[in-house]
Amino acid sequence: MKNGFLIFLASLVVLGGSWCAFVLAPVLQLGGLKQTTVLNSSDVYPVGRPGEANQGLQVYRAEGCAACHTEQIQQSGVACDVVLTSVGTNETAVRKAFENGLKQNNWPLFMTQNFHKAGEPEMLLINVSKEIADAAVDTITAAGGKAEIHIIATGPDIARGWGRRHSVAEDYLYDNPVQLGSVRIGPDLADEGARSPDASWQLLHLYAPQSVVKGSAMPPYRYLFQIRQIGREPSPDALNLPKAFAPPSGYEVVPKATARELAAYLLSLRADVPLRDAPFSSR
Amino acid sequence: MSGEAKSNPPQPPASEPGIARSTVPVWIIVLTLMLLFLGMVYFDHHSGWFNPQIYGPYTSADQLESYQPKSGEAAMLAHGKARYDQVCGLCHGLDGLGKPGQTPPLAGSEWVNTRDFQRLARIPLEGVSGQLAVKGQAWSLSMPAMGAAMTDADLAGVLTYIRSSWGNQNGPVTAAAVKTVRAQLGLHPQPLTAEALKALPE
Amino acid sequence: MTVNETTNPSAAEIDRSCCVPLLALFGGAALWLVVGSVLGLLASIKFHAPDFLANCAWLTYGRLQPAADDALLYGFCLPAGLGVALWLLARIGQTPIRGAIIPVVAANLWHLGVLAGLTGILMGDSTGFTWLEFPRGGSVPVFFAYLLLALWAMMIFAGRRPALRDALCPSQWFLVAALFWFPWIYSTANLFLIAGPVRGVAQAVIGWWFANNLLVVWTGLVGLGTALYFLPKLGGRPLQSHYLALFAFWTFILFATWCGIPSGAPVPVWMPTLSAAAIALLIVPLLAVFLVTWRTVRGSIKSNWNNTPFCFIGSGIDSFLLSGLMLMAMACPQISRVTNFTWFGPAETQLRLYGFFAMTMFGAAYHLLPRVVGIEFPFPKLARVHFWLSLLGIALLVAPLAIGGVVQGLKLQNPNVAFADTTKAMLPFLRVSTTGLLLMLLGNLLFFANVIGLTIRWKLALLKKFITFVKSPLETIEVRA
Repeated sequence: MKNGFLIFLASLVVLGGSWCAFVLAPVLQLGGLKQTTVLNSSDVYPVGRPGEANQGLQVYRAEGCAACHTEQIQQSGVACDVVLTSVGTNETAVRKAFENGLKQNNWPLFMTQNFHKAGEPEMLLINVSKEIADAAVDTITAAGGKAEIHIIATGPDIARGWGRRHSVAEDYLYDNPVQLGSVRIGPDLADEGARSPDASWQLLHLYAPQSVVKGSAMPPYRYLFQIRQIGREPSPDALNLPKAFAPPSGYEVVPKATARELAAYLLSLRADVPLRDAPFSSR
Repeated sequence: MSGEAKSNPPQPPASEPGIARSTVPVWIIVLTLMLLFLGMVYFDHHSGWFNPQIYGPYTSADQLESYQPKSGEAAMLAHGKARYDQVCGLCHGLDGLGKPGQTPPLAGSEWVNTRDFQRLARIPLEGVSGQLAVKGQAWSLSMPAMGAAMTDADLAGVLTYIRSSWGNQNGPVTAAAVKTVRAQLGLHPQPLTAEALKALPE
Repeated sequence: MTVNETTNPSAAEIDRSCCVPLLALFGGAALWLVVGSVLGLLASIKFHAPDFLANCAWLTYGRLQPAADDALLYGFCLPAGLGVALWLLARIGQTPIRGAIIPVVAANLWHLGVLAGLTGILMGDSTGFTWLEFPRGGSVPVFFAYLLLALWAMMIFAGRRPALRDALCPSQWFLVAALFWFPWIYSTANLFLIAGPVRGVAQAVIGWWFANNLLVVWTGLVGLGTALYFLPKLGGRPLQSHYLALFAFWTFILFATWCGIPSGAPVPVWMPTLSAAAIALLIVPLLAVFLVTWRTVRGSIKSNWNNTPFCFIGSGIDSFLLSGLMLMAMACPQISRVTNFTWFGPAETQLRLYGFFAMTMFGAAYHLLPRVVGIEFPFPKLARVHFWLSLLGIALLVAPLAIGGVVQGLKLQNPNVAFADTTKAMLPFLRVSTTGLLLMLLGNLLFFANVIGLTIRWKLALLKKFITFVKSPLETIEVRA
């Protein structure tokens, strides 16, 4: 190349390209995002965080929790369950039609009828593709019964109980700064509020992680708490610690404001409602 | 340094490394073009073409649409029951039997088990006041428009639930149908009087 | 110096003009390198003993690890890269640095900014964005110091000798492009994420774009520009070839700038898809760089076995290629399912930042600093020890983290494995990587000792000169009336 100006132009054009794709476009597409509605309901999502939880996000940022924890659930696929809702007038005909369908089309059989518990919806097929599910529903409807398709998200994160669906942009609508995280040295926290809704468990875990999770690699955040002498009577906020982690007798462990805010933030982390972008059938 | 031919750019002085001028091998250019093409094909198949509503694992708007759980009757019933228990059950009872002297029953009521639901839908949408006979008993009604604040989907669910529970056996009510009924009302509907209610078609 | 510049400045004159700015940049850089290594080692020890230093809020893992990473990147990599760029542009353009006081002021401003930034992170004022954690007290001085240094480098480039004006060396393209790159990405990131934050997950996308363009593109440009100058020079053979290097330059900036968005991210799927396609295309510049460097050094490796700068830069290029392959692996859907959110990602980053960029800077520093100051290093043999410590250290850091990351990922994929077991499975790998960090720290201490020793020697030489000047008898000249 001949000229310094050409290098400048080349850098400008090339960097401008990726700037348009990854700075301008996200701002245009996602920067004006508003609340969305929960699938098949009139509830809005997300609901804003209470003030203490918002402060907790700043504590989360200051302590660098995102260095070990992620807040994003990934979904590797989507599958269908077929549920029998009504046998109609001729139950034998419906069941025969379904069995014929099973044999002819090689649908994967989930469970025999003997497994079906009374009072629970009867699952005919589980974790099948949409085509098979549609075909099964058609067969049953043609025979006079009624069947329904339930949509389920699949993936290791979901199987682990870390969430019901993958994370979408609306989950982070009110976060500033967004703390997605990039390594899972600790478990994913996107749905932590739904998994562990107990504030006292969260505070115990922050003060002495090894007391509630055996073999945890998480460092204890004792400086978020205050060890003080018990006054006339023990404080209602005092942590109920096992003997190995308890302070000496006559002392109690009380969470500071930062610990309470962080616990409130963790409790506010939920991602368990179906959205249009991330559908699943709520049972 | 003068007298150098323009076509032969000057080489750096001896203390700087020399630069050979052999050409770029053709195969690397071919590889680049091939990979560019394959990249475009990959983008075409997996990107959803810049649609901001499509997240992985979905790859197209049609696929996302096909996986939207349809409001099946079971789901609608469940949702309608939830709403009914929240809003209507306080007065009409969770078992649909109403409260003697206060609220008429819904189970087996002729106002519920009509062929069409148009008249029934207007009761929660507008409210009812006045004397009415339900299942042979006389009632003095003063019901507020409990369903006016509900969405079409919610009210449809509640009506479906009422019309198919406690021995009532009727088909479902769709949200679109509720929307049509709502559109027929004025901006500020007054509560129906019992006479006006009786005069309505089913 | 005559007016019409017919005498060209000699290489020694150019070198000498760079002395003070380079010492200012490298002295601070060496200090931050050691600080970063210490912080990283402390962070790594916490995996083996979570209670280690747990009572001190300043030393909690969530603050230590980002501080260590930023000390390496902003404390060492950026100033060292700028110093080498200044010297290279001066040497290739055969123009000395004029007004050297400004780069020196800029270097000191830079180091102050890094000090403020690191202190801010440890205090809890981190911004929360990876690779952008410096609070305003650190990011603003760093940005303006960069602008000053880049401006000076551009002036050197623009003031190159007229005969060289029309024909640019490959290194010049790489370095000049890098000078333009950083201000744009840094100012964009700070504006859109910190000054006037955008809403929601758009922050994450811009953060990823910035991190990729700094860690992959900027370091790649400066590192490759340095390597493409030094490998032919030290190896004694001409660069093979001009056009292939030009091709590598174009394909590298074209494709690598799009690579940042990880697969499976909670953003509309077109963004990770674009990044994945770009990462697949990254094989082309990797191949081009491999061809250029291999054809240039082939045949001269054995004879240069004892040439420490050559060894540093050669292993730097190897690490560049390997980290590029790791980056490509992480974007493959089948592999990313396993390596996502594991230690594989940090392993690739460390390989790139330290194994490629820092090693290249070490090689360049060991070559140019004695020439620039005019004095030999106080411990020249320790350079060889530093090389082996660094090479062994980075291997012991990256290999276990990468393999352990795959093990961790396979366990995470299996929902029947409890989460505590995945962390337990990582412990033996982390032990080896902590050892690697220790070796790297020792190597960095040797580098620091050499650079500081050189600075002290230079200052002593200046002092000696000053004392001789003061002590020398005054010259008397006879004045005729």
